[in-house]
Amino acid sequence: MTDRVIVMELARLEAAHLVGIVGQFLELLSDAAPDDGDPAIGRLVPPAYTDERDAREFRDLTETHLLERRRTDAGVVLASLADAAEIPDEPDDPALMESVEVRLDPEVAQAWLRTLAAVRLVLATRLGITGPEDHDPDNPRFGIYDWLGYRLDGLVSALDDEA
Amino acid sequence: MSALATPSIERESELRENPHPDRPWQTVVWDDPVNLMSYVTHVFREYFGLSRAEAERLMLAVHNEGHAVVAVGAREQMELHAQAMHDYGLWATVRQEPQ
Repeated sequence: MTDRVIVMELARLEAAHLVGIVGQFLELLSDAAPDDGDPAIGRLVPPAYTDERDAREFRDLTETHLLERRRTDAGVVLASLADAAEIPDEPDDPALMESVEVRLDPEVAQAWLRTLAAVRLVLATRLGITGPEDHDPDNPRFGIYDWLGYRLDGLVSALDDEA
Repeated sequence: MSALATPSIERESELRENPHPDRPWQTVVWDDPVNLMSYVTHVFREYFGLSRAEAERLMLAVHNEGHAVVAVGAREQMELHAQAMHDYGLWATVRQEPQ
């Protein structure tokens, strides 16, 4: 169901914002030391057991690989956005709002999905979203979080579209 | 999806105690307020190869009941599924079937 190339349209400015956010995510991952207790990193490698010892053992076995996958995925996303995110210096240059197409082959599209989902998990931790009542779509502080959700949902629809 | 590294379970299994060897192991996916319903459905289709209807039923079970058993079998296999779910950003745990 996902063997097609997905064409995503976005404004250059939007592509540039995405590059900025995914770049920050990559920095967070690169700076993360195991056991430094950052809950955002913790959410990317959640406990697989209620028993603490089993959970620790599982995390020891999987954490490095999972975080490496997040870095690889983020790198793939950044590479796919490189051309689209080239923006002029002038803030009122109409080229900023120019729509560009980003072509995602199936593997790249999957990297996008996992990255958008992971960035939202990190943002949700920072925003203190622990239950549905913590999210107010009318509050501008959730703007980036909702925008990433909108892009993720659009990508899922495109991938799942069997027509 | 591409392969994940296999945790070196063999070393551990001999050391692990299992007081209930007759009860099967499960991978359980837990509801969270962040992952989109459409995304969770997509992950279930992509990873478990479910039909859209089956994947939606499972996603709704997670959403409405707070969690759902997505796989049953050997412990090592359930750990691979849990790791795969974590790779997608879903929160999954491994447990023995509750009595």
